[in-house]
Amino acid sequence: MDYKYIEQLLERYWECQTTLEEEAILRNFFRQEDVPASLLPYRQFFLEEDEMASERLSKDFQDKMLRLVGEEAPTHICKARRLTFMRRVRPFYRAAGLVAILLTIGNAAHQSFTDDAEDIKAAQMAEGIVADSLQQITIGSPEQQSAELTAQPVDTISTLPR
Amino acid sequence: MENISFRTTVLPLSDRLFRLALRITMNRAEAEDVVQDTLLKVWEQRNEWEQIDSLEAFALTICRNRALDVKKRAGRNNTSLDKIDSVQPSIFNLQSSIEEREQLSLVRKFMDELPEVQRSIMLLRDIEGKTYQEIAQTLDISETQVKVYLHRARTKIKERIWTINT
Repeated sequence: MDYKYIEQLLERYWECQTTLEEEAILRNFFRQEDVPASLLPYRQFFLEEDEMASERLSKDFQDKMLRLVGEEAPTHICKARRLTFMRRVRPFYRAAGLVAILLTIGNAAHQSFTDDAEDIKAAQMAEGIVADSLQQITIGSPEQQSAELTAQPVDTISTLPR
Repeated sequence: MENISFRTTVLPLSDRLFRLALRITMNRAEAEDVVQDTLLKVWEQRNEWEQIDSLEAFALTICRNRALDVKKRAGRNNTSLDKIDSVQPSIFNLQSSIEEREQLSLVRKFMDELPEVQRSIMLLRDIEGKTYQEIAQTLDISETQVKVYLHRARTKIKERIWTINT
């Protein structure tokens, strides 16, 4: 591997000619285990600076400071949750699902109502036909009877009881 | 200016102030006291926060001055790197973790023995990632002076590292 770039950066670092970004590249380079022997002596320096950067105050210091300035420390900790894209759009999926269910139910109800109406209409038509037929039958019989009666003259005298 | 509050703007500076105070006082308890005094001082100035360009630079300046006062009162004087005896060069087996730790602390020793202004500038640049302009504002010196001090500090460290490895 060619470490020319790192060596050049390092030289510029000692001369204070590097930018903050270039210094970050150097720091990241020296954090890795696999550093060539020629650069190894400088690794300790950058690791030491990393260790210095991790120095922190005690945990209760901030609570103490808040009490000193008259602000109460928060009684509950609100943790920020990292939401994935899928979790963010989940409410929309739910709403879409609900709408789909409602539409399905609505369509089914509408369909069954329409079918019922058609059935009623068909039944009414059938009933009408049957009623007409019955009426024709009922009306047709006396006529036939009267026709028969007129076709066969009744001998009233002979039919009268003697 | 954005909404500034002690809790969200000033208090998060605590660790940064602590590292600076620690580099100067070399004592954790004293550094914590310095940070506390600094934050209280910043709190007292809350009516002027809106007029301050950089509250962080303001707090760092107070912190450095307080830490220097504490150090002065304690009568401690860090030996300058120029005055200390040269560290005995030794052959390091860098694969040995024990010796690596020793060398690590040796590098820390070199850094701690730098003059205060060089040490503070090195911390603000290398550890806090500040620009030359921000460092100049915090220490109330010119950017050119910042670069000169930083160059001196890095050169000394480089020479020391070179010495112990040859």
